[in-house]
Amino acid sequence: MTPALEIHDLTVAFDRKPVLWNIDLMIPEGKLVGIIGPNGAGKSTLIKAMMGILPLSSGYVKIFDKPLDDIRDRISYVPQRESVDWDFPASVLDVVLMGRYSKLGLFKRPRKADRDAALECIKKVGMEGFINRQISQLSGGQQQRTFLARALAQQADMYFMDEPFAGVDAATEKAIVTLLRNMTAQNKTVIVVHHDLQSVSQYFDWVIMLNTRLVAAGPTATTFTSKNLETTYGGKLTLLTDVADLMRRENYPSREENIIQP
Amino acid sequence: MNALLEFLSFSDPNIRYVAFGSVLLTASSAIVGAFTFLNKKSLVGDAIAHAVLPGICLGFIMAGTKNPVALIAGAFITGWISLVLVEFITSKTRIKEDTAIGLILSVFFGIGILMLTVIQKSGNASQSGLDHFLFGKAASLVGSDLITFSIVAVILLVIVFALFKEFSLLAFDKDYARSIGLPVKRIELVLTSLIVLAVVIGIQAVGVVLMAAILITPAAAARFWTDKISVMFLLASLFGAFSGLSGAFISYTAPSMPTGPWIVIVISTLAFISFFFAPNRGIIGRFIRQSRIRKTINDENVLKILYQLGEENRNFFIQRLPDEIIRRRFYDKRALVTILKRLARQGYIERTRNLWGLTEEGKSRAQRVVKIHRLWELYLTTYMHIAPDHVHEDAETIEHLLTPELEERLEQQLGYPKVDPHKSEIPYGNT
Repeated sequence: MTPALEIHDLTVAFDRKPVLWNIDLMIPEGKLVGIIGPNGAGKSTLIKAMMGILPLSSGYVKIFDKPLDDIRDRISYVPQRESVDWDFPASVLDVVLMGRYSKLGLFKRPRKADRDAALECIKKVGMEGFINRQISQLSGGQQQRTFLARALAQQADMYFMDEPFAGVDAATEKAIVTLLRNMTAQNKTVIVVHHDLQSVSQYFDWVIMLNTRLVAAGPTATTFTSKNLETTYGGKLTLLTDVADLMRRENYPSREENIIQP
Repeated sequence: MNALLEFLSFSDPNIRYVAFGSVLLTASSAIVGAFTFLNKKSLVGDAIAHAVLPGICLGFIMAGTKNPVALIAGAFITGWISLVLVEFITSKTRIKEDTAIGLILSVFFGIGILMLTVIQKSGNASQSGLDHFLFGKAASLVGSDLITFSIVAVILLVIVFALFKEFSLLAFDKDYARSIGLPVKRIELVLTSLIVLAVVIGIQAVGVVLMAAILITPAAAARFWTDKISVMFLLASLFGAFSGLSGAFISYTAPSMPTGPWIVIVISTLAFISFFFAPNRGIIGRFIRQSRIRKTINDENVLKILYQLGEENRNFFIQRLPDEIIRRRFYDKRALVTILKRLARQGYIERTRNLWGLTEEGKSRAQRVVKIHRLWELYLTTYMHIAPDHVHEDAETIEHLLTPELEERLEQQLGYPKVDPHKSEIPYGNT
């Protein structure tokens, strides 16, 4: 069976400083996957790189055995809640309708059917009481659910979510997890950046443990071990960080360019 | 007054050109500028506006006349170069964007002024009026300009209309736009070209120096009145059009006046009015809301004290002297009487000469406040493990704030307890 997602030798650098080193990874279809690791481990960077939002310094990503650009319409993204300015003049419905833009294509306005689809997704996340509410008037949990509804409106097969449980109350978290479970039951793959170690074994089928390099990835039962946790959260690889800093200071390319000799 | 009527009758074709032209320029700049505003790139508009000046001079030198197409082409080129340079400096050096913009803006503007001076000294007769690009002169618009500018304005509006949803998405959530595979770079390129175009035609009316105001201010003012993006764009274009029309009028009645500063004064006045008087977002609206909250807090505190005094006597309707309330909690006596009078007007308190006591309605309102106060204290001690002597202050604010829904949830979660952490009884309605 081909994996839903395959990453080979992925390196990502910011301002020439590598923040992810040589990641090799495979994720099977229909799993609820948690990405865990300490602050600055590169969790968000990893999912952004998987979706091609960030340029890769090396390596490739294949989703459903195809390069990214061929399967864009089958993936969906929930960014970190803090990554946008919620004071933007838009209502809940406006934001969820954005989830339909990829299906609409350039120049076209949302149609009635898109509104129906958006309303349906709003209902799924339990926000039907807030359809026309301005988004800055929502609580953190409601904003998160709005983002989730937008991702659902894309009707994708693979979902990338950056900390969907941040700033969310316990009841909402439970509701979201149930929703994600239903999605994986329909053979959708859901990849979630997660912070709370307590709930990892309860929520996820599969874990990716990250600390600027891949520590371990696999089924939660066998991978989420205290030994792996120790490597992930234990001592920082100070030598690695220092080398990365040096590369930035000295303006070294993170990968040698192919120099063709005359 | 006569001048205004004459102007508004649009009988003189010149007036028509000038008025129609200015409205078109300012309204379309306002619409394009609204995206700069939403993108939080207001300074970029300023940089472009200053950077088009050398382009205009260049266009003039190449064409030898004030051929609008040549001027626009020149302006477009240098406007673009300035943006590319800002981007280049920001990405390739450690210099931050604001510094890069400041740098580019002044260098380009300096070169522009230099070229302008050279042209003016050259003795070319057709150069007169070129300096209008500095501060703008709507009255110098003629029929042929109008055609060029109308075409550009129509192009702007059509593109904005066609790409409205993409531009808004980019302004709100660029990463998401990338994730769904939108050609983000190309759309940004189109938007930037639109800004450059808007600046290029806008400076005819407003001038290089004040162009940024016409891009940004209408959107900033419109944002105060609405939370709907479509309404915001409509308002921004109306504000822009109004200021353009006023500028044209002033330019018509006082030909020695530069138009730009007047347009900016009009649009800034609109912005200030929005800033102060817009409901919800305006300063005065906020102030009124705050003072209403303060009144509510004062009122409910006084009712609460009367209730607590009533608890001690086991009779809530005893009428008391204001001093009795002050002994419980310090108030300036005159302020207290004002509050009592207001409560009496609202029917929460009854007065017999200098004696004040709760009415039935006053009692239930006070009871609700007391109930929430004690429930909240209990909530803090049980769920957050805060020591009982620390919870009073918190509850003092919460008691006025809680909505009925939250109140109900609080009651349910705690299971309708009888007493608070200080063993005071928690009063429920009608029991």
